[in-house]
Amino acid sequence: MMYEPKIIGFLCNWCSYRGADTAGMARLKYPPNVKIVRVPCSGRISPELVLRTFREGADGVMVLGCHIGDCHYATGNHRTAKRMPVLRNLLAYSGIDPERLYINWVSAAEGEKFATVIQQFTEKIRALPPFAEVIHE
Amino acid sequence: MSDRLPDLRRAIEKLLPEVDGVLALKTGPGGILAPHLFVKERAAELEALALWPKEPLPDLLKKILKAHPTAKLAIVCRRCEERGVVEMAKHAQLDLAHVTLIGLQCTHDEALFCRCAKPATIHAKIVVGTPVEGVPDSVTDDFVKMDQAGRLAFWKEHFLHCIKCYGCRNVCPQCFCNVCALEDETWVETGRLPMPVPPMYHLVRAMHMTAKCVACRECEETCPAGIPLAIHFRLIARDVEEMFKYETGAVIEQSPPQLLVLEEGEYERTGLPH
Repeated sequence: MMYEPKIIGFLCNWCSYRGADTAGMARLKYPPNVKIVRVPCSGRISPELVLRTFREGADGVMVLGCHIGDCHYATGNHRTAKRMPVLRNLLAYSGIDPERLYINWVSAAEGEKFATVIQQFTEKIRALPPFAEVIHE
Repeated sequence: MSDRLPDLRRAIEKLLPEVDGVLALKTGPGGILAPHLFVKERAAELEALALWPKEPLPDLLKKILKAHPTAKLAIVCRRCEERGVVEMAKHAQLDLAHVTLIGLQCTHDEALFCRCAKPATIHAKIVVGTPVEGVPDSVTDDFVKMDQAGRLAFWKEHFLHCIKCYGCRNVCPQCFCNVCALEDETWVETGRLPMPVPPMYHLVRAMHMTAKCVACRECEETCPAGIPLAIHFRLIARDVEEMFKYETGAVIEQSPPQLLVLEEGEYERTGLPH
């Protein structure tokens, strides 16, 4: 059977989740591997949440938020921009491919960008071995 | 090289009448070294003043000051402990106006023992000993040369021996939250050994040490399994220095980057997409 990666996408309510809506309304096609979790702000996504998502068996984790400067809470996504790069590096220092954690900014209008990043990230994760295999070898 | 012990004794003696107490190390009964608060009424105790092995003194300083907020105290601190005191002040754990720092310069051998990049004190007005140059951290440098699979295998082997005694957290001078994520069942399950992969306990702790770890190596020294815990902290410290131009414990006026909004140029250095 072909390997279908499990991906969890944390989307901020104000921009990226609406971007997903925009993609849906435009009938844009993208792979169904990403399971979406809507959160008030991408700044809500603590490193603990990402780590536990991996521990629960996710092959990849996406954190999508408003563009810097457009945050509904003014600077919530600054927090994302400060912690996630550190977490990516920590994954690398732990022997986990940092590419498994993806951060980007998608506005409510960017339906096409949403479909594209989902498409690209799914392909990237699909090209990697399943996470469970990597860590339990 | 001058002998630091008599020099330090003299420095403390001179300072004792001006403060309520001086926190330093003392050789106790049976030759066991322990932290001690020297006071002017019992200055003779300075006979038993000691230097090494180091103990996490800043944590005790904080506890004494919390119980006695008006006390004026001095602390004998090496550069790592000095960093610890400064960072504690930034996180509102103590008030620097109540603290006099007595800098104790580490010797080259002590710097080697701690793989310390920056062993010379910079804030203390009273300084004992001669500053020495930093030494390379070969343990961290060798680790970072490994590839992904090598790093994963390295940590799997080490964390297999972790008995989750929480010693590294308990001894850490920078772990002072009232509510600890490592005691939250959501992130770290009680009684689960060996550590799961990824090791939630250690990775959460490493994230929480961002811009906070003062490189004192107390965690490694206390670890009964001999896990080289400082590797994660030191690598992240290097990244934080590069990304956010923040060096832990260096500039008293500079706030920790994780508490602030993005500043000019910071976003570009995070490597995030545009």
